[in-house]
Amino acid sequence: MITIALSKGRLFDESVRLLTDAGLDCSELEQPSRKLIFYTPDEQVRLVLVKPSDVPTYVEYGIADAGIVGKDVLMEEGRSLYEMLDLKYGRCRIVVAGFPEKRDTWITRAYTRVATKYPNIAKSYFSSQDKTVEIIKLNGSVELGPLTGLSDVIIDIVESGRTLKENGLVVLDEICPISARLVVNRISLKTKNTEIRSLINNIQRMLEEKKT
Amino acid sequence: MIGKLKVHLPGGVQDYLPDECYNKRKVEEKIRNFFFLSGYDEVETPILEYFDVFAGIKTSIDQENMFKLIDPEGRILVLRPDITMPIARMVGTKLKDCALPIRLSYLGNVYQYGEIQICKQREVAQAGIELLGVDSAEADAEVIAMAIQMFLNLGLKEFQIDIGQVEFFKAIIKEAVLSDENTEEVHRLIDQKDMLSLERLLKELPISEDVRNLLYKLPQLYGDSSVLNEAMEISRNAEARAAVENIQQVYRILKGYGFQNYISFDLGMVQSFDFYTGIIFRGLTRDLGYPICGGGRYDMLVSEYGCDLPATGFAVGIKRLLIAMEQQGCLEEIPRIDVLLTFTEEDRGKAYRVLQQLKNEGKRVEMFLPLKSAVEPMTYARQKGITQIINISGSGIKKYNVD
Repeated sequence: MITIALSKGRLFDESVRLLTDAGLDCSELEQPSRKLIFYTPDEQVRLVLVKPSDVPTYVEYGIADAGIVGKDVLMEEGRSLYEMLDLKYGRCRIVVAGFPEKRDTWITRAYTRVATKYPNIAKSYFSSQDKTVEIIKLNGSVELGPLTGLSDVIIDIVESGRTLKENGLVVLDEICPISARLVVNRISLKTKNTEIRSLINNIQRMLEEKKT
Repeated sequence: MIGKLKVHLPGGVQDYLPDECYNKRKVEEKIRNFFFLSGYDEVETPILEYFDVFAGIKTSIDQENMFKLIDPEGRILVLRPDITMPIARMVGTKLKDCALPIRLSYLGNVYQYGEIQICKQREVAQAGIELLGVDSAEADAEVIAMAIQMFLNLGLKEFQIDIGQVEFFKAIIKEAVLSDENTEEVHRLIDQKDMLSLERLLKELPISEDVRNLLYKLPQLYGDSSVLNEAMEISRNAEARAAVENIQQVYRILKGYGFQNYISFDLGMVQSFDFYTGIIFRGLTRDLGYPICGGGRYDMLVSEYGCDLPATGFAVGIKRLLIAMEQQGCLEEIPRIDVLLTFTEEDRGKAYRVLQQLKNEGKRVEMFLPLKSAVEPMTYARQKGITQIINISGSGIKKYNVD
């Protein structure tokens, strides 16, 4: 039996669809329920539902052999994992955003306050730019940072850009594109090679079929 | 605040209570004895060393992860983050005239900061061997066979040794002639088996089709011995082929010992590639998400300390080993006390002699100490699971079985 960690976040529906297409019977997952652990009817696969940022943790410890998680979470958590497949859904971008009038001046200021849910990504991005910033960790509605004067800019993921627009903010810089990834524990890939290999191959086949 | 710390431990260290301590010692004794019988002499190096022993040497130990102290002269000391480097220092400075090969073993604690997680503790008990002075495949095979035999002797049934060869990767990178930055990025992506990003990056790099193809295949070159054949088929580079030939030699020896079922391969295992110079390996078990042992060849290290000697070795984490052994049902309970000795005051001297006699026979014995609560010896023996009481009195020695 192998264990896969999934998150009940923005990737959930697509992830269930992907696993179903790859041959896993996930029907139990689609019923409304408060359960956190599910088994496929053949009991070959166990699915655990965790918070998105906990997916890499479960996989690094080997509690889950594999997991599906956004690249943003992987970058933020910085865990030691095999990042085996780009699943191509959940696409968005990590950006620096702020008021349009800051477009040319925000990074040239000696001291910038940045509100974000991703303090590690923010830290490494700004250190690669040799900028000193104050990072303010928020847990949601990051757009409020510049609106309330808590911060000068924000770093966040942006899908369509609508939320930014509605709040009068614009993208000041793009950090990188994001999508869902299949991650695998470094030991499980070797010790449960047959099971995991077939999961990866099935998913890969699905992705290639979708492409054509 | 300070008063509160009195009853707490710093992060990343632990107490070993009797049950765990008993098993830890048992395991350490078995390992020590096995190393000894295999011709490895045990050595000990100090826990305190100069920072310089570890600094500036290309390793996987970041300097910010070392515990540092300042001595009265203002020099930086560290709690050793590793034992291989102190042993290399010791050999390079004090054992360089010994007949080769030199076989050394150690058991001891190493100290490293870093994120505290299960089994990534800050005080880590390790056991290991170093085989110095021989650069042949036989020496690498000996070290890997030592790891396998050690696990078998400890009763582990389910484990595997995953073997790589960093020179394979290094040979391809050398042929590719990349900037340091690109080398680092290619290395990172291969290490994470991130095929998509690797493909994207390789497309941009000015390298030959051959090299591109090899680097792209590298993360997938893991599994049984068929990956070695595959690696041979796709590589034209002489040094890369020599690296694969080296693993094949090691594998042939291990197969001859009947160990083929414990072996797997991963040519994309490229961690610490600037420290290792040949075979590298990790010990894995199915139920643990992290390796229990690791090792490999490090021919450039001893020369850092003034004596050019090839070397290979491995270290096992005792705590990780204990967890794996617990999962596989290999731990033992502390043997109970065999005999509770009771006596009248005037026979104390005689009782003491009987006590020593019983210990000489290998029995675990306890002298009964009356408490204020006045518990009867029989009740006490029952509570502690002691099966026999021996009473010494003027009239002689009487034995009672505890029901």
